Amino acid sequence: MKNNPLLKKLNLRYLVSLLISIVLAFIIGAGILALSGFSPLKAYGAMLSGAFDSARHVGDFLEYAMVLCICGLACVLGARVGIFNVGGEGQLLLGAIFACQVGIWLDGFSPWIVIPAAALAAMIVGGFYAFIPGVLKVKVKVNEVITTIMLNTIAAYLCQYLAKGPWKNANKNMVAATEQLNAQYWFGNVIPRSSLSTAIFAAAIIAFIVWYVMQKTSRGFEMRLTGQNPRFARFSGIRTDRLVILCMVISGAMCGLVGMFRVYGAEHLYRDSVSRDYYFEALMVAMIAQYKPVTVIFLSLFFAVLKIGAQGMELIGVPSQIYLIIQTVIIFFMAAESGISASLQASAQKRKAKLAAKARQKGDVQHG
Amino acid sequence: MQELAVQFKHISMEFPGVLANDDVSLDIRRGEVFALVGENGAGKTTLMNILYGINEPTDGEVYIGGKKVEHFSPKNAISLGVGMVHQHFMLVPSFTVAQNIVMSKEPRKLGFLFDNKAAEQKTRELVDNYGLVVDSSAVVQEISVGLQQRVEILKTLYRGADILILDEPTAVLTPQETDELFAVIRRVVKEHGMTVIIITHKLYEVMAISDRVGVMRKGRLIGVADTCDMDEKKLASMMVGRPVLYDRLEKTGVPGEERIKVEDLHVLDNRGLPAVDGLSLSVRAGEVLGIAAIEGNGQSELLEAITGMRPIENGEISICGQSIRGKDPGEIRQLGLAHIPEDRLATGVSRDASVTDNLIVGRHREKAFNRFGFHQRTSTIERYAQQVYDNFDIRGAGLEVNVGSMSGGNMQKVVVAREFSFDTPVLIIAQPTRGVDVGAIEFIHSRIIEKRNAGCAILLCSADLDEVFRLSDRIITMYEGHITGHFKASEISKEEIGYYMTGDRSGEEAVYEK
Repeated sequence: MKNNPLLKKLNLRYLVSLLISIVLAFIIGAGILALSGFSPLKAYGAMLSGAFDSARHVGDFLEYAMVLCICGLACVLGARVGIFNVGGEGQLLLGAIFACQVGIWLDGFSPWIVIPAAALAAMIVGGFYAFIPGVLKVKVKVNEVITTIMLNTIAAYLCQYLAKGPWKNANKNMVAATEQLNAQYWFGNVIPRSSLSTAIFAAAIIAFIVWYVMQKTSRGFEMRLTGQNPRFARFSGIRTDRLVILCMVISGAMCGLVGMFRVYGAEHLYRDSVSRDYYFEALMVAMIAQYKPVTVIFLSLFFAVLKIGAQGMELIGVPSQIYLIIQTVIIFFMAAESGISASLQASAQKRKAKLAAKARQKGDVQHG
Repeated sequence: MQELAVQFKHISMEFPGVLANDDVSLDIRRGEVFALVGENGAGKTTLMNILYGINEPTDGEVYIGGKKVEHFSPKNAISLGVGMVHQHFMLVPSFTVAQNIVMSKEPRKLGFLFDNKAAEQKTRELVDNYGLVVDSSAVVQEISVGLQQRVEILKTLYRGADILILDEPTAVLTPQETDELFAVIRRVVKEHGMTVIIITHKLYEVMAISDRVGVMRKGRLIGVADTCDMDEKKLASMMVGRPVLYDRLEKTGVPGEERIKVEDLHVLDNRGLPAVDGLSLSVRAGEVLGIAAIEGNGQSELLEAITGMRPIENGEISICGQSIRGKDPGEIRQLGLAHIPEDRLATGVSRDASVTDNLIVGRHREKAFNRFGFHQRTSTIERYAQQVYDNFDIRGAGLEVNVGSMSGGNMQKVVVAREFSFDTPVLIIAQPTRGVDVGAIEFIHSRIIEKRNAGCAILLCSADLDEVFRLSDRIITMYEGHITGHFKASEISKEEIGYYMTGDRSGEEAVYEK
């Protein structure tokens, strides 16, 4: 039983602790709901129906799952080589606004030209924006977490400036938004009236490629080693510096592309609602998934259901923030899990050593 | 008989899988400078960590000033008058000297505000009292390492220590700073009646500063003596000398063409100080050149420079006739080099990867292991790994487990197996059997000689003198980045080597040249 390869692959221990964490999080969420005077059962019921009561809501959560999944995988890609890309939000926003503006500049050309050009622009901008912290980390050992967070702020303000200034919508009522794309460039709708567009197919392909490269190729193997022990990887002849920068750039390009998907698939112009810290939620998904690509995909679906469902909850007056509470509590428990089991193991080992010493002592007395 | 400052009674300390201290009994007298020497991993620091309350011994008792230690914690040790200056300083870099010194017993204003003036005042009193000159308002990160050490010592004095433990205090110091430190030690002992325990493996320092000396080896206390009855040669043989366990291995063939050439090499250590200082050597096909040196004399940096893991300041290195300048470790490997690193956990393996992964690294890009040049052929890789695994008699729970869960000996076998399987004409081998059990040592040694006999050029570096003697054809001794001696292994004794390892003797005795 213990050596069953399928079980090993599934990593039973992880699944059990994930399940326990989720259940505990919902119980704590229920406690908070009850304390604030809501019926937890009703609220959770509203959450469930909020996500599944109509095709439109199903489409909405699938679209959000796509965002979480690609951004989450972008984070995993960095984590694989030991670099933590916290800058996905900025890369996403910049990708979105530049992709949008390319569509406006090229207005009139065939979609066959405009859409690839927009995608390319999004990837270049996002990739470049990740290249900066990547190079700084590798060449001058600047902590990437700090640089990416700073770059996020810069990107957010830059986008706001562009959307309020040079690239502003002609309509005075639109506060911070670019012009709308010509409808011929919009991605087709997969589920009517929902935000789910054909971008999900592109996302599925991207997710597959990322998974494939990481899990099945010799390049993915090098990435894994680099993340596990960079000194050993370098010692073994892997060009770790280049690999780290490359992964960071691809990670940024993926985030940029998600921005493009949001604009061409759902928003049709650039404005704040392109992303409301979606990358940070994806980051949490990646963390909870312990940076495992397949787990990221499934957890993206799960959290997307929660998020869209939470909007349904608001209809009966429950603040949707309860979703954030549940999410953070899950992270808390998942993080505590490894710490708790490690300390249990350590104390067990200590006890064992003590017993062994005692036994030796007794033996000495008897023999001696 | 003097009063005893510290008594260790039958101390044993077991870490999971390692017996770091094995029934150690030792008395330290009040007012003496006691030197504790031994090779790395001999258990010196562990014993002192017990005294300072960081570790609780699995067995045995400690008495400080005649009182039995009931509760092991640094706090308790400090209250009993023990102070310890660690190898790596425990200072807050952005605080001033005074702030660091008074930390944990800060003078306060109104009961809760930090009183900086009083802190500086107290620091100045300490400085005057003990004659340890340092500027109390200087920021710690801006003063030299030698002064930082002085701050550490002042910190222990401020806390009322009268037993001072110094863990390899001179490892980070320049010779001038070392002299100053010794002057300080002499002063606190003579004028203030302090007891100083100094951990070191530099033998001339033992002779220079200590009253008595204790030698540790493999967790046991081998002997204690008055320093005046000892000399460096005797200490060296006590430290490393143990009866040769094995017969000489059969070496065949004659050396061929030159494969490793190092010319006038200069390399810096992590602190930016010269570690290898104008060193030249050459190794030919079919011979083993052994480097005998005490830890920290530039041998690690030398090997790192040859393998491309550390930049070269000046000089030339070539492998099989080709210069390694401007090449990264991977490109140097392409020239025909494989390397067993000295620290297998940090450099030699990925603990979180499977045995298979650890065995295939370096060959993973080869055509045979990839479909279309990128898709890993898992089953071919596994077959190869299994073959290497069996071939090198690795014993563990199979290929799937993480290397981190294996014993040290088997982990080392994984490293040796991988590097030897590259079949390179040049091998750089560092500490091939550190922390490895006897059976595995024998196996690894015979594999190294096999490689030698097959015509490999091997550069070997080991802290274990027996090992250097057993495997090498020629031996060089290194001291502070220089070669201090150059010998045929068959024509010199271990004691003599130990003598050359601890200093430059070129002025004293004729050096044997090849």
